[in-house]
Amino acid sequence: MVEARPVAEAPAPRKRRHLLLVLGVVMLVTMLLVTAFGPWIAPYDAIATSPNSLAGPSAEHWLGTDSIGRDVLSRLIIGGRTTLLITFVAVSLAVAAGLVLGLVSGYVGGLADELIMRALDIVFAFPVFLLAIAVVAALGPTVPNLILTIAIVYTPIMARVVRAPVLSVKRWDHVEAARSVGVGELRIAIVHVLPMVVSPILVQTSLTLANTIFTVTALSFLGIGPPPPDPNWGGMLSEARQFMELAPLTVIGPAAAIVFATLTFIVLANGLRDLLDVGSH
Amino acid sequence: MTRIVLVRLAWMLPILFGVSVVAFALMRALPGDFAQAAAGTTDLSPEALDTIRRGLGLDKPIWAQYLLWLGGLASGDFGSSFVTHKPVLGELLPRLAVTAELTLMAGAMAMVLGVFTGLASARLRGRTDWFVRGFNGLLLAVPNFVVATLIVLLAGLYFPELGIFNYTPFFTDPLGNLGSMLLPAFALALAVSVTISENTRAAVLEVSSQDFVMVARAKGLRPGAILRNYLVRNALTPVITVTGLQLASLLGGSILIETIFTIPGMGQYLFDSITSRDYPVIQAIVLVAAVIVLLVNVLVDVAYARVDARVSYG
Amino acid sequence: MATSDKPLLQVQRLSAQFTRDGVVSQVVKGISFDIAAGEAVGFVGESGCGKSVTARAMMRLAPEGSSVELGGEVRFDGQDLLQLREADMCNIRGQRIAMVFQDPMTSLNPVLSVGAQIDDIVSRHTGMSRAQARRRTVELLGLVGIRDAARRADDFPHQFSGGMRQRVLIAIAVSCQPELLIADEPTTALDVTVQAQILRLLLRLRQELGMALMLITHDFGVIAGMVERVYVMLDGQIVESGAVDDIFARPQHDYTRALLDAVPRLESAGRTRS
Repeated sequence: MVEARPVAEAPAPRKRRHLLLVLGVVMLVTMLLVTAFGPWIAPYDAIATSPNSLAGPSAEHWLGTDSIGRDVLSRLIIGGRTTLLITFVAVSLAVAAGLVLGLVSGYVGGLADELIMRALDIVFAFPVFLLAIAVVAALGPTVPNLILTIAIVYTPIMARVVRAPVLSVKRWDHVEAARSVGVGELRIAIVHVLPMVVSPILVQTSLTLANTIFTVTALSFLGIGPPPPDPNWGGMLSEARQFMELAPLTVIGPAAAIVFATLTFIVLANGLRDLLDVGSH
Repeated sequence: MTRIVLVRLAWMLPILFGVSVVAFALMRALPGDFAQAAAGTTDLSPEALDTIRRGLGLDKPIWAQYLLWLGGLASGDFGSSFVTHKPVLGELLPRLAVTAELTLMAGAMAMVLGVFTGLASARLRGRTDWFVRGFNGLLLAVPNFVVATLIVLLAGLYFPELGIFNYTPFFTDPLGNLGSMLLPAFALALAVSVTISENTRAAVLEVSSQDFVMVARAKGLRPGAILRNYLVRNALTPVITVTGLQLASLLGGSILIETIFTIPGMGQYLFDSITSRDYPVIQAIVLVAAVIVLLVNVLVDVAYARVDARVSYG
Repeated sequence: MATSDKPLLQVQRLSAQFTRDGVVSQVVKGISFDIAAGEAVGFVGESGCGKSVTARAMMRLAPEGSSVELGGEVRFDGQDLLQLREADMCNIRGQRIAMVFQDPMTSLNPVLSVGAQIDDIVSRHTGMSRAQARRRTVELLGLVGIRDAARRADDFPHQFSGGMRQRVLIAIAVSCQPELLIADEPTTALDVTVQAQILRLLLRLRQELGMALMLITHDFGVIAGMVERVYVMLDGQIVESGAVDDIFARPQHDYTRALLDAVPRLESAGRTRS
């Protein structure tokens, strides 16, 4: 799984600071554009079968075809839509929930903090993937359920990332001073606390996006992802196993797509970290 | 010392409780009828269904069911499989052993790989450092099931004599067993080795800048001795604890790896039971996995606290 | 004052520059000094004047992650240390030239017993067996005033106070009877009451073992009674030098005067040290 890199080093030199971020943004935009305009860019219908099965790369089929003659490239493009949709929506929910819980927990403190943290620890205790599998198995593998599962599974880490700076800012002298002069709590929260939270949240969000790609594609690999007939990368990879020596591209195609998507978010995370100079905890 | 252990265990109890509730709730939150799923067929008279329901205790209030289930757990009764109708625990234990073997092998490989590359990266710096870190970064982007599938593809294409899917049980053929586990363990280990490598690198860099390392150099000790007794021994403690915390990730990954390499472990068992809707099994596996992870985390915490006592006073 | 006509340590136009991540820090700009065998010499100056850098440059101990440029000559018993191969320098460190650092709380390896940390330098530079080395270790611990030495040798650093740890570090430094002992701010991080004890210990050991002593400090008060000659450093250069009594009585340089003024006088209200 992707984790925050432990840091014991000086911040990156100025030039390098922006390189990764730019690269990450470029990759992200490419992915978004390709999947957004997918139905118009894809050369074939992603679910249309043809007798031309397990074909190698050719002018008609850039990445060949799979075992029932479907065009690999088109399936990759369309498959990306569902994967990315689930990923972005689920992580947004996790961030939102994490923000609320983390802010409340950190700011209010006391019993609320204890309760919230304990509840989150319970979710945290399960191996992420196992929990995802169990929940999806219980609720049924539909797109909304997948989104919900992933949001639940990644909320704890978001809450923790939010809570940490909140706790430390709460104790700052000038925050105490502001409070004693009568500045409202809400204003303190917005002016002092929120800026401290933004950087770690941005970095963690990118990392979680990368992890989510893993989870979504892994679930679909096991057959409990988005239901057919829509293609998805994990499912494509799994189906390809049967005849993979005959048509390696059926494996390499989805593999490359998964790696590209994951890499995009990792590069973004590192780029953000270099830019914002965020150490890890 | 014992106080720390007790405190940690006490902290673990409410979480354990929560974990058990979640595991229990998961399987009760199903669409459809639990009793029906237990029966396995829809072709039943309402009376027969009722009998099954009473037999499973489903007519009692939910909290009573939970307590009954909990009590059953304490005496080793994890319910019976809906598919084989045999006690789950008996089916689970041998498979757990297989997964344990896979996980331990993967953990060991990850440590060796990770510590070695992290050390090289920290001490040699320059090009080695760049190479290792770049490679690590790329490796993180390749999920373990993709690695495993690619390995199987490569083996199929270029080394067809290497029977990939020939798992043999340990007691039948120890050497064959280990051999058949090598590639799967490697696929599982790769992603974890990256985390260990990064942690080792950071730890070694951190330790090298400590005063006592400067003192060791001023003592005229040989570089090898400094590396072993001053650098590695201090850097390794955070690394080992991080490795312990990777267990959750390893367990999760084992599901995928076992499926790909057809290894009869707990992960594959989970997958099969999801397909066949064998809910008591799913429940048991999720519970067992969570408990193992919790226990290991507590162990790691305690071990770290012990070492930390020496370090934090220093 | 020199006991032989050739000084033990003769430094000529030593210059040193440490660079880390492109930032140049800590500079010594071509200084020259010498120390005779058995002589005690003080180096005084405020933080950043280059006195610690001088010591580290002599020992060729650049901080981790820094690159270093050295110039000039450091003749120790005739040999230029700056030209030695690292392996040879390794043999000299700890055995012929030893160093005591400022912060005893961070100078000991937390995961090794203090005995092990003396054993290792003893066995490194002598051919002793483990048992012999351990006997020597216990002897050394007793020498620096650690009671119950045999049992304490197995204790870990966190079980010792700051002052005791500095004693251990001194034991490590004198373990192979070096010809030159460099003490870099040895009492700065210690409590006032302990400072005097440590200084007395250094004095006693120096007399017993006949070592030359290079005492580095920012506090003129520490120098008094410890050394025979003094070098005053400012901004990477030596601005004044001479016999300690002369310096105290008739400081020439403005900076020296300022440093002396910073020490509370003994005549005022009893024995108070800053």
